[in-house]
Amino acid sequence: MGVVMPLNAETAQARTHQVVNEDSTDIALFVRSSQDDMLGWNRQRIVDALLRETFIDRDTAEKISKDIELTIQAGKVKTITGPLIREMVNAKLLEMGLEEARRMHTRLGVPLYDVDQLLVQHNKENANVPHGPEATNLTLAEGIKKEYALLHVFTPDVADAHLSGDLHLHDLGFIDRPYCSGQSLEYIKKFGLNLPHALSMAKPAKHAEVLLAHMVKFAASLQSHFAGAIGWDAINLFYAPYLEELDDNGVKQLAQMMIYEFSQQAVARGGQAIFSDVNIYWEVPKHFEDVPAIGPGGEYTGKTYREYEKQAQRFAWALFEVYKEGDAAGRPFFFPKPLVHITEKFFKTDGHMDFLHHICEVASVKGNTYFVFDRGDTAKISECCRLSFKLEASDIEDAKQPWKMRYSALQNVTINLPRLAFKAQGDDTRLFALLTEKIQLAAKAHGQKKKFIERLMSLGKGGPLSLLAMDLDGEPYLKLHKCSFLIGMVGLNELIRVHLGQELHDSDASIKFGLKVIAHMNIVCNKLADSMGMKFVLEQTPAESTAFRFAKLDLAHFNAAAEKVVQGNREKGEVYYSNSTLFNVGATMSPIARVEKEGLFHPLIEAGSITHIWLGEAQPDKEALASFVINVFKYTQNDQIAFSPEFTACLACGKTSRGLSETCPYCESKNVDGITRITGYFTKISSWNKGKLGELHDRYRNVDRFNN
Amino acid sequence: MTLFTKDDCVLCDQLKKQFDLSAMEVRVEVLGNNDAGALAHLAWHGLVEKARKALPILVLDDSSALDEFGHIESHLLDRAARYGCSVAARRSGKQAGCESGSCALQ
Repeated sequence: MGVVMPLNAETAQARTHQVVNEDSTDIALFVRSSQDDMLGWNRQRIVDALLRETFIDRDTAEKISKDIELTIQAGKVKTITGPLIREMVNAKLLEMGLEEARRMHTRLGVPLYDVDQLLVQHNKENANVPHGPEATNLTLAEGIKKEYALLHVFTPDVADAHLSGDLHLHDLGFIDRPYCSGQSLEYIKKFGLNLPHALSMAKPAKHAEVLLAHMVKFAASLQSHFAGAIGWDAINLFYAPYLEELDDNGVKQLAQMMIYEFSQQAVARGGQAIFSDVNIYWEVPKHFEDVPAIGPGGEYTGKTYREYEKQAQRFAWALFEVYKEGDAAGRPFFFPKPLVHITEKFFKTDGHMDFLHHICEVASVKGNTYFVFDRGDTAKISECCRLSFKLEASDIEDAKQPWKMRYSALQNVTINLPRLAFKAQGDDTRLFALLTEKIQLAAKAHGQKKKFIERLMSLGKGGPLSLLAMDLDGEPYLKLHKCSFLIGMVGLNELIRVHLGQELHDSDASIKFGLKVIAHMNIVCNKLADSMGMKFVLEQTPAESTAFRFAKLDLAHFNAAAEKVVQGNREKGEVYYSNSTLFNVGATMSPIARVEKEGLFHPLIEAGSITHIWLGEAQPDKEALASFVINVFKYTQNDQIAFSPEFTACLACGKTSRGLSETCPYCESKNVDGITRITGYFTKISSWNKGKLGELHDRYRNVDRFNN
Repeated sequence: MTLFTKDDCVLCDQLKKQFDLSAMEVRVEVLGNNDAGALAHLAWHGLVEKARKALPILVLDDSSALDEFGHIESHLLDRAARYGCSVAARRSGKQAGCESGSCALQ
């Protein structure tokens, strides 16, 4: 917002005297309105707007409009803009002490300078958004919606907590959408592609390729209605009934089409690829074994999914063959992310070791594989960078009609943990009291977003969320009553460092205290869930930009304390806090120790966690990784792991090499870009924010850790 | 040695009545909605998921854990004998079982 300069009192008085005698209707003033029109000056429009948008009385509105008219006349301008008049009125309201009216009358917008910068410079808040006209559209729209959210959806205490960096309200630019969605392919297999406002309607697919086309389009539609990830459950199993007539080449072709379709869809929202996840099982999950399978044309095939194990395995194998090859330049595919569930039944299913070696080879060569551990009777659907929805008894009941299985988190709010430690000054009681206070505020923010989404959903099929209101199976697509509300954390490691003087990896005492902090969060979430009737769950925040934002804000506002613990390179501005409950990325730890110790936190974080094993240029053999994965499943509590190699993509010769280099080893060009995981997905390093660049520099690479 | 319990857990209650746990130097941790320390301790031993299935759980001095009621009871009987502690008779000799269904961490 621009600064309103007060007129010098004497000058203003003189000018006022000069113009009062002029008939206002004689003013040859044109107003550029916000409705794409050039209107003649009419003071009444100010009165009308004030009466329409605020609660002030007519006399005051009249007085303000006359004062503004005098000021404008005194300026002797020929053309003025609607936004400027509104700012002048706002300044007047402020001057008169009418703060609430000013807030209600606020105009949301972007300074000219900012737009100019945005059109030219790459916005790196989300590395998954490329630079281009669509991206600037997205950024500008997000900017307005973010302002709207902070002014109109959330109360001032919540908005202030976000702006000051006590907590972070994720995806404010997508305030009118839920956060993310996990679903079943069975929905479109059964109902076809039948979307509200679509120009045409498609019956259930009869062929695998058509089903893929439906899936991709549905995913794009969902991307327009959710802020984040779009996940698909047991994708290889639900495709299986369509694969019986395809030979192995046909299945491979389908796998290739699926991966390319999702990885090349960087053309829709803001030019952003759909953040897509596919959950893959080698076995037929127990809860789907006796479920009647839906096949071509949306008809039951007369078999249960138990009978499609081999077809599902063929597809799973083919998908990983494609991942292993990478794209035309040998680069890893960024999307869809393949999440393989390692379960008790996995180890009892024929061929599991061959498949484990296969996916471990992909993990080593390209890094794509995510290993999701479902121990005991646990069943879940995973998505996003690490989010997972554990299936409860009612979900297992829904599994009998899998199209009913859809899960959503409505919002994610992250708490700045190091700041709490700065404020607590070593006092445990104070620390836990502050933590409770922030969790309560996060819960309050969730309640406000829920109310807002409920309002939009109440408009039904004629409203803005018509896709989420569609009820082809008798229930709205978005099951609001089942939504989760995520509470995340950033910088547990730095909180511990401030509070105890050690980092998490330094001692058992540090880990134990860290566990107490997260246990406290877990307990407070459960209590609030009981009292507010909302499902609050902890999630490890991916914090792609939040870890950077919190560190920057704390350096600005808590400098003396923050500069001792903020990670990264302060001179370059590449600062960050450790993500969620992760240990210092640069700590020299064996991969199994990191997985084991970070994994102690995972059972307390019910909506998902991950441990990253940074490989650098190492390419361990598949047997070593398979053995590692089995040990993690059997002997740790870790929820999910991923191995992340690094690559250099040459923009001159188009070749891809292992490791991060400043020049291409093939053609020696310096026109190269790095590729590795930023937080929970692969992307180009040139699109990373400064905080993540700092983290990349610090990462400990497990280069020699898997050698035999 | 630590016995992880819960307030409304009938099996936990049975052990508390049967044994003089403090005299046997068995620390009792009560998991519930107020004790982050107990939950953190449980997590440190990697037992959260096990506790979500069944309580009580007994963590031995070597950090190994017993989660079957019969094994816990048997271990505590041995320990009571070693410590010279008396053991109360089990409720009318009834077979231990979780009638209320609440013998697990929620």
